[in-house]
Amino acid sequence: MALDVPFHAQEAYQCGPAALAMALGWSGAETSPDELAREVFVPGRRGSFAVGLVAAARSHGRVPVELHDLGEILAELAAGHPVLVLQNLGLRLPFLSRPHFAVAVGYELPAHQLVLHSGTIARRPITFANFERTWRRAGGFAVAVLPPDVLPAAPDEGRWLAAAAGLERAGRSAEAETAYQSALARWPESAGAWLALGNVALAGGRLADAEQAFVRATELEPGSAPAWNNLAHVLLRSGRRPEALAAAQRAVALGGPHLQTARRTLEEIEAAIGP
Amino acid sequence: MQFSRRLRLLAIALAAALLWAGAVTPAARAAVVSTEAALAVSAAGDAHRAQVEGFLARADVRERLEALGVDADGAQSRVALLTDQEASQLAAQIDELPAGGIGWLGVVGIIALVFVVLLALDYFGVTDIFPWVHARR
Repeated sequence: MALDVPFHAQEAYQCGPAALAMALGWSGAETSPDELAREVFVPGRRGSFAVGLVAAARSHGRVPVELHDLGEILAELAAGHPVLVLQNLGLRLPFLSRPHFAVAVGYELPAHQLVLHSGTIARRPITFANFERTWRRAGGFAVAVLPPDVLPAAPDEGRWLAAAAGLERAGRSAEAETAYQSALARWPESAGAWLALGNVALAGGRLADAEQAFVRATELEPGSAPAWNNLAHVLLRSGRRPEALAAAQRAVALGGPHLQTARRTLEEIEAAIGP
Repeated sequence: MQFSRRLRLLAIALAAALLWAGAVTPAARAAVVSTEAALAVSAAGDAHRAQVEGFLARADVRERLEALGVDADGAQSRVALLTDQEASQLAAQIDELPAGGIGWLGVVGIIALVFVVLLALDYFGVTDIFPWVHARR
C-alpha cells in the first residue's frame, strides 16, 4: 500500500526541502521546496539538518513527532501518516557519507519492502533490511509531520506535548492550543496538557480560561510546582492577592527545578500586597 | 568557530542581564513557567540554567550558521524557532551532525570509493596493489 502524498523531485542537495514539502503538503500546509530551502538549507554543508526540518515544520503549524524504530514507522504508515526519514546511503567514512532525506509513503509486507518518495523517484521500494541499515547509519531520525488535531498511531503523551510546545516558540499559538486540546481529548487527566492550555490562554490574555486550566492542573497533579506558580501568577493579575499568595507559597514549598521562578513570583506578590 | 573565552564571558554577562531585566520588568510574564520549560527540566535539573544555556547556544548556533553561508536574517529567524534543548544539541554537535542533501558523490568521493574497493580487493587477495596490505589467510 502507498499513501497519496504529493511528490517533489529534488534538485541537487535539496532533498531536505523536497522531503519536507512532501510531508507538509500531505498535512495540508501549502508550501514549496524553494520556499523551504530558504528556511532549512545550509550552503556550507550542502544540505539540511534534521533539527532544522523539525523546527521548520513547527513554523508551518505542524507537529513533528519523532519515531524510534521501524515498527513505529510502519504503524504511522498503517494509520495513513507519511514519515520523513534521514538515511545515509553511503558509508560511515569521510567523503563516502551520503546523508539523504526521503519520505516513507507505504509498505509491502509480503515483499518486506518500504516505499519511499526519494530523490527524483516517486514510490521507490527498498527492503526493510536495507532501509534499517541506511537509516540507523544516519542516526535513526524519523518524524511524522502531523496536523495539530491528528494524534500519532500509538500516541505517547510526553512526546506529543513536547512536540507541540515548540509551536508556541514559533508563534503558532492557535495550532499549539489545538494540539493541547487533542491531547486532552485522548488523555483527559493530563495535568501537563492543562498546564500547557493555561499557558496559551495566559499568553492570549484570557485570564479566566488560564485560571480554570491551571486549577485543573493542580487538582490532577497537586505536586506540580509549575501549575501552582502559574496559577499564582494569573490570580495576581486578576487582583486576587491573598489567593495568589497561597498558591505561590505552595509552589515555593514544592521546590524542584523551577524554585527560582516560584520565588520570583512570591516576591512579586508580596511586593504587590505591601507590608 | 567556537566562542572565544572573552566573547563567552561577555555573552554570559549579557544573558544574565537580559534574564534579570526580564525578571524585574512589569511585564510579569517573566515569572511564568512555560510549557517548554515545564516539560524539559526533568533532564536538565535546574530550569533557570537550562534557559541560560539555551540562550547562549542559540547565539552560538546563529554564528555558526552565518559562517556556513546562511544570511544574517535567516540565521536569526532559524535559531528563534529552536527549543532550548534543540539549540543546545545543535551547538554541541553542528560539525558532526549529518546534513542531508548529497546529490552526487563528487570527484573526491569517487576517488575515495575506488580506493576503498581496491583496499578490499587487496585484503581479499584478488589484487596486490598496496604492498602494505596483507591479504587475509
